[in-house]
Amino acid sequence: MQSATRAERAYESFLRPLYGISLWYALGVAGLLGLVALGGYHLVGSQWAQGLEVTGLNTSIYWGLYIINFVFLVGVSAGGIIVAALAHILEFKEFKPISRIAELQAISCLILATLFIFVSIGAPDRFYYLFLYGRLGSPLIWDVIIIVVYLALAMVMGYLGTRADLVRCMAVFPRRRWLFRLLALGYTDISPAALERERRLLRGLSWAAIPAAVLLHSITAWILGLVKARVTWHTSLLGPLFVVSAVASGVALVTLCVVVTRALWRLDIGEKVVGGLGKVLALSVPVLGYFLFAELLTVTFGGETAALEVFTEMVWGSFAPFFWVNLIVGLLLPLLLLVMPARLSASWAFARAAAAAAFAGVLVMVWPWAGGDAPALFAESFPAWGALAQPAWMLGLLVLLIVVLTVIVPSTSVFVRVGTASALIVMGVLLERTNIVVLPQLHRYLAEFYGVGRYVPTWPEVAVALGIYALGALAFLVLAKLFPLVELPDEH
Amino acid sequence: MRWGMVIDLDKCTACQSCAVACKAENNVPFATPEQSGRSHTIFWMDLLVQVRGEYPRPKARFIPRPCMHCDNPPCVQVCPVGATYRRPDGIVAQNYDRCIGCKYCMVACPYGARMFNMGRAEEPESYRSYANPDGRVARRRVGVVEKCTFCFQRVDQAVARARAEGRTLEDGEVKTACAQTCTGGAIVFGDLDDPASRAAQLAGSPRAFRLLDELGTRPKVVYLMEG
Repeated sequence: MQSATRAERAYESFLRPLYGISLWYALGVAGLLGLVALGGYHLVGSQWAQGLEVTGLNTSIYWGLYIINFVFLVGVSAGGIIVAALAHILEFKEFKPISRIAELQAISCLILATLFIFVSIGAPDRFYYLFLYGRLGSPLIWDVIIIVVYLALAMVMGYLGTRADLVRCMAVFPRRRWLFRLLALGYTDISPAALERERRLLRGLSWAAIPAAVLLHSITAWILGLVKARVTWHTSLLGPLFVVSAVASGVALVTLCVVVTRALWRLDIGEKVVGGLGKVLALSVPVLGYFLFAELLTVTFGGETAALEVFTEMVWGSFAPFFWVNLIVGLLLPLLLLVMPARLSASWAFARAAAAAAFAGVLVMVWPWAGGDAPALFAESFPAWGALAQPAWMLGLLVLLIVVLTVIVPSTSVFVRVGTASALIVMGVLLERTNIVVLPQLHRYLAEFYGVGRYVPTWPEVAVALGIYALGALAFLVLAKLFPLVELPDEH
Repeated sequence: MRWGMVIDLDKCTACQSCAVACKAENNVPFATPEQSGRSHTIFWMDLLVQVRGEYPRPKARFIPRPCMHCDNPPCVQVCPVGATYRRPDGIVAQNYDRCIGCKYCMVACPYGARMFNMGRAEEPESYRSYANPDGRVARRRVGVVEKCTFCFQRVDQAVARARAEGRTLEDGEVKTACAQTCTGGAIVFGDLDDPASRAAQLAGSPRAFRLLDELGTRPKVVYLMEG
């Protein structure tokens, strides 16, 4: 009796987003549309009209903000399908409700990634040459092939996993019957036998999806990793490192989406679901840290000039903020949030938090003492701040740490803790990607002649990137109105 | 036929006339001071400069840098659409009509020899009167990659002329713009496959070295170490 009412409640909550349009929803859509328009304006009005001249790219760096985000989005896409496939293969009851959000993320982020490629090339009118004249020897074409295969696979999985709910929705919303019919491609069979067949099919596809996801991100890594002209890209570690980053950032983004969606529409998603995702994160974050350590150790122990220069720049130079923020706020802090027991007495939690904050604070304060220069990146973006930039970002980091450690860590809500950890991991991986993509281009071979390059993204570049992300968020909001984002419970 | 170039650093005076001649021959776009300040300048032939030491005893090193026309070109290996390719005579050429501007080749080139058309060139009206009218070096569009071609328009013309006259090409008959203009006579262009050619003989000198040879790119531009 009790479980029946619970299923009832869940069922109702999952359908809730489909009713009506709230003021907040309308405002959100309007805001995102504005961002998309802004991005489009800068793309068409300045980048396509004047050339890539309007971006921060120059003769020492050819792949900047757009490629960073391409790599990042391919990663979160691969991570999304891995969550969904695990749910289907292992029949994880916990992950079942969120497999659709994960699949949607896999599809939409991959489409956004291709958009980033589209805006990054100099002759977008020739984009179709990739299909017309594709050369099988180029890693970029391997990526085109795997993206097409993977996208098709993710779409079929998404369709198979959704159509039963679409059929169920036809009965609930008779006036929107045509829409659900269209989305389900005319399918109507939801007999137990048909559902079982669907489950088996999904399981089979999931077995194919996992190697596809691993390949997708490995090949994306190899676009960089096979280039011998860039020292720290050219390592066999890059493929595995990218796959682990993909799992960490992908699962983190799924988690963030679940937590946010749950809060927005008061969906009935339990602590177990988010807690389970938190466990996957707690396992993948240390592996990421381990890879980073292995790479740092190899480079510093040998001390080969070219690679060492890149790493010195990363750890102590103009990109040091990215490295340290990634390490402390993107790896250590989330790990702390994920593995520390949630239900602590408040005073204990506070004591631990204070200790951790002091530790992190010391780490950050040691930085200038260890001989770093003023971070050029910040000094150039905000010349007036020059002298203030360094203390400013360190102080900001410290304040963020203290807020997280004193407010979030003692919180007993799994959603708050795991959600915050996920957001931090996503940000950390984005910073990690930035360092990986940008630095080896600035420190190139023949640096004794060319010198060290610099890269500061310009406003049009940032606006276009924001526009693309806004397009993704917009798609998510629209899809949330089209069908339930969470699988409806069977037993209803 | 394997076209190559020998650059004697002892004879180089760092006058940069090779870079200027190259710009004129190949219609390489101008850059405004603003564009060059943001390092958007295009040089097919560039003079690399390294200065070491302080005032009383500074030591400068100059290396003219065309495209190395590698026998194992990393740029050709990565191009997704086959816009850059290695011709049978060893020249690494660029098809501007095919290039999509993904810049993968630029990332893959360890020499920084590939250049991107970031934006429109702004140049004085008078420029048109001395632009090279040869269609094969017509100004490239914005958004594609361009690079040193060993002046393939000159090479192909000379080869065709020799064939029409029923004779083989003589050594030194074809000169790239940089070799032709070089004030110190430091740049020698020729067939590396012909052991009798001046370029091939100079390339066998004990002073010969290639830039970043250890990367396995097998460059066809050979430098003679300054003594």
